[in-house]
Amino acid sequence: MRCEEISRRLADDLNGTLDDVERAELRRHIAGCAACRAESDGLGDLWRALGEIPMPPPDSRALRARLDASVRREQQVSRPRHESRFNQWLLAAGIAALALTAGLFLGRVGAPAPASTDVVALREELRDLRHMVALSLMQQQSASERLRGVGWSSRLEGPSDEVVTALIDTLRHDQNVNVRLASIDALKRFAEREDVRRAAVDVLQTQRAPLLQMALIDFVVETQDRDAAAALRRISADTLSDQTVRTRAAWGLEHLGV
Amino acid sequence: MHAVREGDLSQLGPLFDRHHRAVYDFLVRTTGQRAVAEDLVQDVFERVLKYRATYRGESGFLPWLFRIASNARASHYRKLEPTLSWSDELDGEDESAGPERVTEDASEAARLQRALLSLRPDKRELIVLARYSELKYEVIAELLGVDVGTIKVRVHRALKELRDKFHAMEANSHAV
Repeated sequence: MRCEEISRRLADDLNGTLDDVERAELRRHIAGCAACRAESDGLGDLWRALGEIPMPPPDSRALRARLDASVRREQQVSRPRHESRFNQWLLAAGIAALALTAGLFLGRVGAPAPASTDVVALREELRDLRHMVALSLMQQQSASERLRGVGWSSRLEGPSDEVVTALIDTLRHDQNVNVRLASIDALKRFAEREDVRRAAVDVLQTQRAPLLQMALIDFVVETQDRDAAAALRRISADTLSDQTVRTRAAWGLEHLGV
Repeated sequence: MHAVREGDLSQLGPLFDRHHRAVYDFLVRTTGQRAVAEDLVQDVFERVLKYRATYRGESGFLPWLFRIASNARASHYRKLEPTLSWSDELDGEDESAGPERVTEDASEAARLQRALLSLRPDKRELIVLARYSELKYEVIAELLGVDVGTIKVRVHRALKELRDKFHAMEANSHAV
């Protein structure tokens, strides 16, 4: 084997794709050639060091929820338009009918009486429908509809995991600043959740819109999230950031006591 | 993927579960930014959904998926340069951990990742594919549209360049 052939063989050796004969041949050459030995050792060390670089894990749950929403949207698009509209109408009518029935029933039974199983079931159905409406609105093309969806989610009692995940997803990825701002407000009541706090810090690290940065700084200060310290420090030192935002970030650092 | 192509969109979820981590890994290592990589993973699977009818399956699903990921990354960075957004984690600059926790290994990992990000995008991608994707050189060659011998030579050259940049950064850090 000549030194010129080493490059291909080393690449195979690093990747573990040499057969026994080829490997023996390479080792023989390396044993008798100081330059190739140094190259092989150096690249071997580099290869190992590359394997030791840690990576932050993805937020798989939020990503999957977002994909599922895209799939649902795609499935709706492939249905006839009138059917989709009919479904929306049906959903609205269902909510109205349930609300009316629940109202009449509760009125007849009277508040002081203990809730019967029927009433509980009706309330649950109504709650599920509200969840569906909030989730459905948050996936619409129109920003104003998505804004309505975030608004709906704020009015829900005990929103499901799916709703909170959708709100986080909106904060992370929605293209409209107003919708993202609304999602920050809606997420405040879930600030004890790890995924909510992490999303706030992540978005603070990458976001450049001053309004969002200000709202997120207030959020992390309000929740006393010390994990945000590095992001705040970076913003306060970033000469390309808006001056008001930089001042606010410095204020945030003071209030976090870091 | 064949089922997705034929219209059974419910099969995209399991495909995502199986492969999103590999795609994310490729993207986070080539962009250096977790949030950007997550956005791009989403973009990749939305492209899979959108262009499902174009899937032929001749060379398997993974090369097709990584080609989409590579295109998504290139579109994103047409105007921007990648930066390392989780350097604090690599450097061990976590305030709560205290300075004694800042290990040399962590600094070295951060420096190596920075050196990787400073390579030209095609070289960076090649190293990431060769080192982390578990794709064979033959598959990478097909993905990039060159013959397998060329891929091996390019991997070798890219690694040497990375090593030189890494050592230069190391020398600078000692000099400071």
